[in-house]
Amino acid sequence: MAKRNKLEIIRDILLVLRNNRGAMRPTPLLRRSNLSSSRFKEYFGDLKEKEFVKVEGDKNKLVVLEEKGQRFLEKYQTIINFIDEFEL
Amino acid sequence: MPLETGRAVQDIVTRHLINPGFGLEIFYAFIIIACSLMIYFGTKELYELSSHKGIKYFRQAFLFFALAYFSRIFIKFLLSYSSVAQVLDVSTKAWSGLLALIALPFFMYFSAMAVFSLVFSVAWKKLPKKGITMSVLKFVAVFLALIVLFFRNSAAYLFINLILFFLVLIVVFMAKKSKSKYSLYTTYVLLLVFWILNILDILVPWITVGFQLVLYIVSSGIFLMILYKVLRRTGAS
Repeated sequence: MAKRNKLEIIRDILLVLRNNRGAMRPTPLLRRSNLSSSRFKEYFGDLKEKEFVKVEGDKNKLVVLEEKGQRFLEKYQTIINFIDEFEL
Repeated sequence: MPLETGRAVQDIVTRHLINPGFGLEIFYAFIIIACSLMIYFGTKELYELSSHKGIKYFRQAFLFFALAYFSRIFIKFLLSYSSVAQVLDVSTKAWSGLLALIALPFFMYFSAMAVFSLVFSVAWKKLPKKGITMSVLKFVAVFLALIVLFFRNSAAYLFINLILFFLVLIVVFMAKKSKSKYSLYTTYVLLLVFWILNILDILVPWITVGFQLVLYIVSSGIFLMILYKVLRRTGAS
C-alpha cells in the first residue's frame, strides 16, 4: 500500500468521522485512521487548529466534524485536481 | 495658479490619456492585473482548506505579478507622461525621474518574487529543505532591486535578467516530472520568458522595440490561459 500524503490522511480521518454520523470518540477514531498514536496526535492537533473538528464533552470526549471539515471533504477532489493540473 | 493647474490637467487628458499607445498600456495592465488577482482570490479557499505549499507559492506568484504590473504601469506613466508634474508645480524632470527611480526597485523586487514563487511552487518538493528557501530568495530579490536602484546601466539590467532566466530554466527542468507527457511546464517556461521580456521592456526598452505589441498579446494570452485553467479547476465563477 502506497504511503499516504498529508491531504489523504486528513481526508481519511474526516471520512471516518462523517461515516459515523459526524461524531465519534477519539480512541476508535485513532484505531480506524490507521496511524500511530503520535502521528494521530499531530494530525488531530492540526484538524482542531484548522477548525475541521471540535472536541465536545469533558469526561466522555466526542470528536465532532465541523462545517469546515465537511467543506474540505466536498472540495478534496477539486484540490487534488488543481494540484495535479498545475503540477504543484 | 488654479487656472494653470486646470489647463495642465486638460493638457494631460487631451494629449496623453486619449493617446492610443497609453490606452494600449492601460488595457494590457488591466488584463494582467485582473487575471492575476482573479487567480489569487479564486484559489483562496483551496489554500485555506489544504494549506498546501505548492498552492501557497502559486497564489503568491500571481499576487506579485499583479503588484509588479501595477508598478510597471506606474513607471510607464511617469516616463511617458511626465507633464503630470505641471499639476504639482514642480520641475518635470526631477519629479518623474525621482518617482520612477523609487518605483523601479519595487518593480524589480515584485518581478523577481513572482518568478521565484512560481518556480518554487513547482519545485518545492524537490528542493532540499535546508538549501534554497523562500527567505533566501527574498534576499536575492531585494539584492536585485538594489542593483537596479544603484547601477543605472542597461548592460547590468540585461545581465541580471539573463542570469534570472537561466536560473529559472535550470530549476524548472530539474523539477520536471519525467512521466508527464504534455506538461504545464511549457506554459510556465513561456510565462517566465515573457515576464523577463516584460522586465526588459521597462529596464532596457530598446530590446523590445518593434515587437512590443506581440509581447503584450502573447503575455496576455498566457495569463488568460492560466486563468481559464484555474477557473475550470476551481469551479469559481
